[in-house]
Amino acid sequence: MAQTSTKPLPQPTEISAPFWQGLAQQRILIQACQACGHRFFFSRRHCPSCWSDAVEHTEAKGPFRLHTFTVSRVPTLPEFFDEMPQCLAVVELEPGVRMNSALRGVHPDSLPMDAALRPIYVNRANQTLLYFTTLDSEVPTMIDEGQDLKEHSEQDTLTQDPGRQAIHFKDVTALRALVDDGYTAFSNSVLVDQALVNTFAELTGDDYWIHTDPERARSESPFGGTIAHGALVQVLISRMRIPFRHEVVGFQSMVNYGSNKLRFPSPVPVGSQVQARARIVSVEELPKGTQVSIEMQTFVRGFDRPSVINEIVVLYM
Amino acid sequence: MSLKNSAAIVGCAQYKPERYATAPRMFHLEQVADLARQALQDSGLAAHQIDGLAINGPHFHEASAFVPAMAAEYLGLNLHFGEVVDLGGTSGVGMVWRAAAAIELGVCQAVLCVIPQRMAPLGPAEDPNWMMKAMRYGGHSAVFGAPEAEFDLPYGHLGQNTGYAMIAQRYKGIYGYDTRALAKIAVDQRANAQANPDALFFGQPISIEDVLNSRMVADPLHMLEIVMPVAGGAALIVASKELWSKARQRPAVITGFGEQLQTKSPSYAPDLLQTPVGPASSRAFQMAGLKPSDMDVAQIYDCYTITVLLTLEDAGFAPKGEGMRFVQEHSLRYDGDFPLNTHGGQLSFGQAGSSGGMSQIIEAVHQIQGRCDTRQIAQCHTAFVSGTGGVMSEQGALILQGA
Repeated sequence: MAQTSTKPLPQPTEISAPFWQGLAQQRILIQACQACGHRFFFSRRHCPSCWSDAVEHTEAKGPFRLHTFTVSRVPTLPEFFDEMPQCLAVVELEPGVRMNSALRGVHPDSLPMDAALRPIYVNRANQTLLYFTTLDSEVPTMIDEGQDLKEHSEQDTLTQDPGRQAIHFKDVTALRALVDDGYTAFSNSVLVDQALVNTFAELTGDDYWIHTDPERARSESPFGGTIAHGALVQVLISRMRIPFRHEVVGFQSMVNYGSNKLRFPSPVPVGSQVQARARIVSVEELPKGTQVSIEMQTFVRGFDRPSVINEIVVLYM
Repeated sequence: MSLKNSAAIVGCAQYKPERYATAPRMFHLEQVADLARQALQDSGLAAHQIDGLAINGPHFHEASAFVPAMAAEYLGLNLHFGEVVDLGGTSGVGMVWRAAAAIELGVCQAVLCVIPQRMAPLGPAEDPNWMMKAMRYGGHSAVFGAPEAEFDLPYGHLGQNTGYAMIAQRYKGIYGYDTRALAKIAVDQRANAQANPDALFFGQPISIEDVLNSRMVADPLHMLEIVMPVAGGAALIVASKELWSKARQRPAVITGFGEQLQTKSPSYAPDLLQTPVGPASSRAFQMAGLKPSDMDVAQIYDCYTITVLLTLEDAGFAPKGEGMRFVQEHSLRYDGDFPLNTHGGQLSFGQAGSSGGMSQIIEAVHQIQGRCDTRQIAQCHTAFVSGTGGVMSEQGALILQGA
């Protein structure tokens, strides 16, 4: 079921309407010149080869091939945060006829030039857009953009690694061996949607428009839309399972002792998926137990600058 | 077409590139007058001799139409030739050859080419975020009926980074990709900037590792391979042979030019790796009766390292597919065997909007005039300058020779 979208939507014209109507029926129509036979994308009033105005929409022949692509590590518009990292592509619809599109469900590191692709029809608001994926991908042929997001975050949960090393909380030597400059892999992703932000605003009383008024934020906010409260993103860590290689065992209780450092270096636009990673910073033996400092970094998925850096202090007793 | 070689650049002026946040704010008309006065002083000409004007139309602060007449009125000029040039990064190159053509035809005798790119003071009713909003779609139009609004924006195709990245990625797929060679372009240019106190990155040399360790923005382009937008502005004066005798400095004669507009989006070009600077340069060299190896210095438009690589190949300095080897085998420094972008290039000098391209023409002129201090090339009589607008959408080439 179609939802409203903040992403730019195509506005079909009289000339291009058949192309967009075609996509709604999962058909890819390009124009062909009835005078010279030239076939081209995008739809226009005349043939760009011979200037005849006898042009008609006709099914693209294929094969669909990847002409080139890039992975944008910075969203080209804030609204595309949920697609991070954005995999933008030029796709050949038939030899010599290309369109600008984007890829879903692909592994950019192993994408050969001229790879065979298949179309994905993405419903955004009341429009159908034409994305592509590789032949081996399991992405469905038809996606509703709003629904896809939620499904994605549920599918994305990590399976628990059975090989976790159990370390007794008093075994300070073993715990200290975990202190590392490197981070864990990323956790599962959590969707930060407007409903969640609104609930948090209600709970905390922080209902500043930059968080809660999408219409005003769209025109006045420097971020082009609403952003989540930093404090909300900070506490969402509880919903993320970080794939530590170890598990601390044997303690009676675990106390959250606070934070050594808390920063919000970059905003989380509403609609983003967030995920976290961590590293053990220090381990200290205290009279009352063992104190472990853990640096948690929460990121908007695919974005390489953290949104929250929180060095939490946990006391195992 | 051939030229009579009767038009030359005789005076230049430009603002030192500065970060937007700290740069002075001036109205564009004010900048035009200020830059024009400085360029006039540099040339030795008198104000009443200027009878032609080439100016940017897009992004002109005080008006979106009637810009030449408004600027002529402000400057107190009576013009025989008033021109708006809307060619993005190749606007400077486009202005110079249009000025030369007008002078050779006898339409006028001296043309002021000017691009103000400092921000204007904020009006009482103006939205402080106007610039950010104006830049939201980069060079893309979001207007109903614009093909890119309909077919690019919904997928997130906009701005320049991803377009150039996709060209680089295609290059990688066809010819392979030596990231160190691409990084070396940025590194050698940064070394040149160390001899230019006006460069934005003066005092900040970088290494190949610095480039490769800088943030990946859009594969395969790293942060340090991407130009930094700054505030600035530039002007130059093109004058007829009759006026050269009064010039203070050695005139840089326009002996060849070319311009090629292809497609707004490179995706629709017949071949993403055959860039429009190819035909533009070949016409320019033919007009001048020279070849790439005759050039003493090259000022190649460098919004990205990939732009330099493709221009080296397509303009004929290196065979197709061998640009990376060319870069590895030559020193691109001012004291090297292939002096390139001797002021630091826009990558290290800074890119003041569409006047960034003009900074490269000015550097070529200054090299020909022997005014480049420590980065001066020993013998500099001929220079190649290229310009690039959009995403390889429109490109131009100039051949300049000292009189």
